[in-house]
Amino acid sequence: MKKSLQLAKDFFKYGMVKDCPVYDMHGHMGSHYGIYFPSSSAEKMVNAMKQANVKKLVFSHHGCLMSNAGNQLSIREARKFPEYLKVYCSVNPNYPELAEKDLAAFDEANDVYAGIKMLADYHKRPITDAGYKKAWEFANKRKLPVLLHTWGKSVFDGPELVGEVAQKYPDAKILMGHSCHGEWEKAVGLANKFKNVYLELTAVLDERGPLEKFIEEAGSKKIFFGTDMPWFSYHNYIGAVLGAAQKEEDIRNIFYINAEKLLKSPGDA
Amino acid sequence: MEIKFFDANIYLGTQMLGSYKPAVKASELLEKMDELGIEKALVYHMSQFEYSPEEGNKMLVETMEGSKRLFGCWTILPPQTEEIITEDFFGRMKKNRVFALNLFPVHHRFLLKGIVFGQFFKELIKRKIPLVLSMREGGSTWEMIYSLLNEFPELLCIISDLGIWGVDRYTFPLLEKYRNVYLESGVLSLHEGSFEMAIKKYGAERVIFGSGFPEKYPEAAMLHLLHSNISAADKMKVASGNLETIISGVKL
Repeated sequence: MKKSLQLAKDFFKYGMVKDCPVYDMHGHMGSHYGIYFPSSSAEKMVNAMKQANVKKLVFSHHGCLMSNAGNQLSIREARKFPEYLKVYCSVNPNYPELAEKDLAAFDEANDVYAGIKMLADYHKRPITDAGYKKAWEFANKRKLPVLLHTWGKSVFDGPELVGEVAQKYPDAKILMGHSCHGEWEKAVGLANKFKNVYLELTAVLDERGPLEKFIEEAGSKKIFFGTDMPWFSYHNYIGAVLGAAQKEEDIRNIFYINAEKLLKSPGDA
Repeated sequence: MEIKFFDANIYLGTQMLGSYKPAVKASELLEKMDELGIEKALVYHMSQFEYSPEEGNKMLVETMEGSKRLFGCWTILPPQTEEIITEDFFGRMKKNRVFALNLFPVHHRFLLKGIVFGQFFKELIKRKIPLVLSMREGGSTWEMIYSLLNEFPELLCIISDLGIWGVDRYTFPLLEKYRNVYLESGVLSLHEGSFEMAIKKYGAERVIFGSGFPEKYPEAAMLHLLHSNISAADKMKVASGNLETIISGVKL
């Protein structure tokens, strides 16, 4: 590997760089209807994190997103590895009473909670739907990160809808999971227009080009690293970032500086 | 121990809808390979898929410019139409440094059946010529591959461009039943744990390094392989050994 950056060379040589940790802002956990995940338990995921020097993973368990079981499953698993795991409180707008209950109990799990998760394309209600209103107000009031699943041309979480919620809830820190996949131009436009909107890299990195565009047009301070863990592998995604980013500052911003700032004090990010 | 890479999944040329920094000429590809530390590559030309297999195959040979580091992969169509498979086909493969074949039955509109390719596939088995089955849109479907291998269980197949959603539920039964089925590692390495699990269950001999350049970042599959939880000897097999063995076994 004849990469010009020493940082990239070190990643290739050692598989991790001690002073360049990685924060994964988009994860899940547990088995899944459509995919066999060999490493979906908390134990195996944390093991994968250690092998790539991933310091923190913020996740929402598949069981919380794809059933109406509430967030206890995520909380229980995160408490097994409090140093490594943080939780997004999953909100399913089809069960608003459950969401309300989980939000009311948010402070009881503030040792692991880091924000809110919305999966509107799967739950089939737009992110502007009344079923999400309480969660948005909650996140806005507390200046919390909100990880959205966003997809280009989606009627549930496409870029136009992201713009609406960003305007309405200016203190919520909106991470566009998948960066409005496919509508990269609009995703960059949103990140540039709204101080509280950020790009996120899950499912972005399996194609050359978009990340280079993000860095060039939105700047690396607006980009968060994410993998959908246990969907995508750390070394594969780290390699992709190293393939795209040409400056050490950009790599460090994407891997940990932005996330450390956000998790430490969401209001100041 | 230095690991040498022999990439099984690269194309030359550009896509009709635009490509991000592609390699149009052999010199551009070789420069990129040098930067990455990839020694050799099995390559096809995007025009074989998007424009015309007949013209694309010619473009591949012209673009490869006889480089000894590049090994051609032509696209085939049903022998009956005589567009590609004509007299002295294997002689022309040899003359033009073509060591593998691929096909895209959905995009090129034919069926992957014995009635179409029967005698020809028997010849591929005899000559140990690898057939690359791409799962990209317009390539093959899992039903097609299952049906194909049911008819030709000894066919040497490299399944490439595996889907973004994990495909182990499709691939593991094929690896279990057919000894000449291989997986290309590019997207396989994207899926957490799948690469290691495939090797643990079926052996490192069944996975072949591929990057997917220019659509994918070669650095992704490379970093993953270099730091995966398999032995150094297995890494060598995947990175280049398996493809070297396949290519050296081809009889043209």
